[in-house]
Amino acid sequence: MGLTDRVRQYRNLPGFLQASLNPWLIKARNNPERLAFVLHRVTGFTVLLYLFLHIIVTNTPARAGWEAWDSLMEAFGAALFNKVGEFIIAGFVIFHGMNGIRLLLTEFFGVCIGKPEKPKPPYIPPSFKACQRRLLYLVFALWPILWAIAGYIIFKG
Amino acid sequence: MAIADLKAATRIPPKLVTIRVKRWSPTKGKVEWREYQVETYRGMTVLEALLKVKAEKDHTLSMRYSCRMGVCGSCGMVINGVPRLACQTQIAEVASESNPVITIEPLYNHPVIRDLATDFNPFFGKHASVKPYLIRKDIEEREGPTGEYILKPEELENIYQFSLCISCGLCYSACPVAASDPEYLGPQALAQALRFIIDPRDEDPNTRIAVVDSEHGCHRCHYAATCSAVCPKAVDPAMAIQMLRSIVFRHRLGFWRKRTSKPAEKPKEWQPKKPMPPEAQTIPGVDLEQMEKEPVIVEVDGIKVEIDYKFYKIR
Repeated sequence: MGLTDRVRQYRNLPGFLQASLNPWLIKARNNPERLAFVLHRVTGFTVLLYLFLHIIVTNTPARAGWEAWDSLMEAFGAALFNKVGEFIIAGFVIFHGMNGIRLLLTEFFGVCIGKPEKPKPPYIPPSFKACQRRLLYLVFALWPILWAIAGYIIFKG
Repeated sequence: MAIADLKAATRIPPKLVTIRVKRWSPTKGKVEWREYQVETYRGMTVLEALLKVKAEKDHTLSMRYSCRMGVCGSCGMVINGVPRLACQTQIAEVASESNPVITIEPLYNHPVIRDLATDFNPFFGKHASVKPYLIRKDIEEREGPTGEYILKPEELENIYQFSLCISCGLCYSACPVAASDPEYLGPQALAQALRFIIDPRDEDPNTRIAVVDSEHGCHRCHYAATCSAVCPKAVDPAMAIQMLRSIVFRHRLGFWRKRTSKPAEKPKEWQPKKPMPPEAQTIPGVDLEQMEKEPVIVEVDGIKVEIDYKFYKIR
């Protein structure tokens, strides 16, 4: 029994474990929206975690005074792990933001999702042929470019 | 998945495939994987392979199936990690010479009864909660209809795709939100809600919108769109949920108004045809009254044939 089988064994259990495993195991064809969903969730949770840490760090002056803040900045302000962390968070924020615009258009305003049609073979769902799919490809194409630019600004600037 | 590979049935599958089935029985309460070797033929489906296993190798294997042709929606199972209808999935589509192993599991997000059979009661309960039937305000008219409700072809096109649903539960099984929220109505119920909300023959969208516009309703969807990718019947639940959302949004703002159709006018009462006047007979020299009294018998090649007077009457 391989690892995936061990994981699949718990699939029909209700609760958190099943909920956390489900997004990863289904491999439907022609479905980059699912990849976007998983990435959106991962980036969202990471950025949320970052936000908590960020608030804790930036309220140092209020807690311990400006001297503590200055010493903190001297110690970690230019450290490599800080820059790498910033770089990762920048990439996650870029993806989450761009995909968020697409999701706003489709979910909130109900545009870019196509129109119902009479299905004919070879059948492709109308929402997969609609403009949201092109927007998604645009997001996937722009993401590495913008991430590289952000990296250049963070490490060089 | 609407049949992705239309030519799969024409290909020759590997001669011998290994079917790995995830088995669970309520008495044992333990999950185990069983492997069965099955000889295949061209055009064999996964359901046929399972039935062969049941007939020849292991009679205790449980599954649900009925029509074997993708109409009833009973045989949904997870085949090689994707929810599909077993009767629509060709062996040649999921197994190859290099990897002749087919992994079969019960549908995700549905409670398992035994082996591959899953409990659909919660799923059907959600379907029923959106009231998937036409509701008219005039109950007398609904119970004793005088004419059909009018539906224009362009209005039919709006709802046709969603009315193809066979409630097979594949979309619900593929949904990552249904996995984390067992109360979530699911793509199937929401698509059916939309189908009746935009149906002009229906007069009560508000009760359905109240059901759908909730924490576990359409706002829970995160648009992973796997429901549309796995649907075997060309329903597009992902699109339906987004359309439903925009309707709910406009309904809350008061911009959305339902268009309803009235029943068609009562057709004119049927009247029996007037009998034809005798001078309108097409064949001269035939006396109908006389024929009615005494049937005319004609001999053709030694066989006696009785001429039917009604035949003349109709002419």
